[in-house]
Amino acid sequence: MPAEHLALEVDGLRFRYGDAAAWVIDVRRLAIKRGEHVLLTGRSGSGKSTLLQLIAGLIDPGEGRVSVSGQDVHQLRGAARDAFRGAHVGMIFQTFNLLQGFTAIENVQVAMMFSSIPPREHRAKAAALLERLGIERPFAFVEDLSVGQQQRVAVARAVACEPAVVLADEPTASLDPENAAGAMDLIQQVCRERNAALLCVSHDPSMAARFPRVESLDQLASAAAGSAAAVGGRSV
Amino acid sequence: MSDLAIILRSLRARLFSTCTTALLVAVAVALMLVLLSMRDAGRKAFERGAGNMHLLISRDASPLVSVLNGIFYANAPARSIEWARFQKLIESFPHDFAVPVQQGDSYRGYPVLATTPEFFTKFKPDPQRPWALASGAFFATDFEVVVGARAASESGLRVGATIFLTHGTGGSREAHVHKEFAYKVVGILAATGSPHDRALFTSLPSTWVLHAHDRRLAADAKAPMTTVADLIDADRLITGVFVRVKTRPGFEVGASLAPIFSQLRTQADLTVASPSDQIRQLLLIVSNVDQILLAMAGVVLVSSGIAIMLAMYNSMDQRRRQIAVLRVLGASQGRVFGLIVTESAIIGLMGAAAGVALCAIGSQIVALLMRQRLGLVIDAGVHPESAIIVAAATVLLASVAGVVPAVMAYRTPVSRSLRPIA
Repeated sequence: MPAEHLALEVDGLRFRYGDAAAWVIDVRRLAIKRGEHVLLTGRSGSGKSTLLQLIAGLIDPGEGRVSVSGQDVHQLRGAARDAFRGAHVGMIFQTFNLLQGFTAIENVQVAMMFSSIPPREHRAKAAALLERLGIERPFAFVEDLSVGQQQRVAVARAVACEPAVVLADEPTASLDPENAAGAMDLIQQVCRERNAALLCVSHDPSMAARFPRVESLDQLASAAAGSAAAVGGRSV
Repeated sequence: MSDLAIILRSLRARLFSTCTTALLVAVAVALMLVLLSMRDAGRKAFERGAGNMHLLISRDASPLVSVLNGIFYANAPARSIEWARFQKLIESFPHDFAVPVQQGDSYRGYPVLATTPEFFTKFKPDPQRPWALASGAFFATDFEVVVGARAASESGLRVGATIFLTHGTGGSREAHVHKEFAYKVVGILAATGSPHDRALFTSLPSTWVLHAHDRRLAADAKAPMTTVADLIDADRLITGVFVRVKTRPGFEVGASLAPIFSQLRTQADLTVASPSDQIRQLLLIVSNVDQILLAMAGVVLVSSGIAIMLAMYNSMDQRRRQIAVLRVLGASQGRVFGLIVTESAIIGLMGAAAGVALCAIGSQIVALLMRQRLGLVIDAGVHPESAIIVAAATVLLASVAGVVPAVMAYRTPVSRSLRPIA
């Protein structure tokens, strides 16, 4: 697959905490095309969230390379890496991690503050996005919104800068099954509309049905031992 | 959204902590400004007493004592200058004015200054403002009295009142009231903000006659009423001379003053004081206390900076997640550092602004109390230069105080801070 079509490319990525002997993350290769949706599964504590943080450039690997839109994330340093993350990677968290004390529209605008989007366009873009996602009270403080509405604000914030990759870390773990399904529908729909690659981490087996491609962290790790089968993943 | 909006939201989220910290800074800033403005006001109040005179001639023990007695009415001068000596003296150098004054009498503890009408026409207690009357007129003949503003307000004297002077000052053993000589209050002076506000003023013969009467009674207990016609040379005494030397237009006063000053100082029986020099020396002594007070205010200001640091430091635990989210969204470590330092500086700025306002209100109240209770007129209000310097120093201090929490924010581990709360 030509590299220019890949939103995310992970090669020989290894990570361990401090001086620990064992690698917590050991991924030989993971490649996701622009617009592709991938579910990453794994047992609890297997390092799924850590992998997302490595991809986002929040922590540095011991070995290997992560490319987003062709840019080696870990080649970038300091403010350049932060700016790149803000522009090309969107993140959705299990507990949403919205900024308390800020309104819904402000939470989305904050995401644009660190991008190259002209400031005069922030408000209109944020308002349009929130309207598209069905936020009824964009000027309400997020802590005053329902959990479902907060989830929508978190999704809006993640895609506000038209990222190449959206990383979703257990995005429905805080929701009941009915709301979880609705939230996943929304996340996938919004990513499709923006042609963003979606890498969703979940330990919920029922999620596999809605993803065309499912990767297991264990399988990716075993690939490092010599199996090339994991490269490209498994389609369901 | 802007960085400022994020900072203001953060301050609002911790409203109580923000307000109490800013209030602490405000009190420290106000204290510093009040001390600075009071120091300046006190200095001006001191300088106002000497007014437009260049020299004070007396027979006091030292120039400083001469100034304290002659201008600030600390004590009645012990030694006098004969009238004939005064007249000879003033012929020896060119002058704009040489106003004789005599102290030693009092009214209910307020000093009485006997002088000539030139005291009101030539001498000015404040070089910028001539004497002004609140009511009545200046004395024109003997046994007429003009009352200083504070003496009038405290004693309740009004124009038309009849008073009896005490020969001697209130505290002295020889002091006694001369009921036989009635004085009429003809004028009340407007406040000058100088020590002269607490004095009464009359003509020289009006007090000489008290001395003459005592002299005559000592010789003959049944001596009839003394009049000005009974005065002899021994009665005609003065305790000081307010001198302004003649200056040539366009020349520094020092050029004219120095030779006259040197010439007068050769006369061993006289004490010649330059009030401005003596007041400067006096302020130098007082300034040590000033500096201690200012140092204490500085310590309070630094303490308020530490309070800002503690408030910010304590908030960092709650803000780790917010900082981590900002980092995920693309904020660099430097920008986060800047946000925290700016937030700290804004608390300092809020405190400084409130402190300036507090000082402006506080000094008006202090000035009002000082005028009402002490009769001392001081320039109330905040000096713009002091306010700008203190406010800038406060903001700088607050910024420095923000560095420690900003370093904490800079080092916030993003991945650990984003973990779901258990």
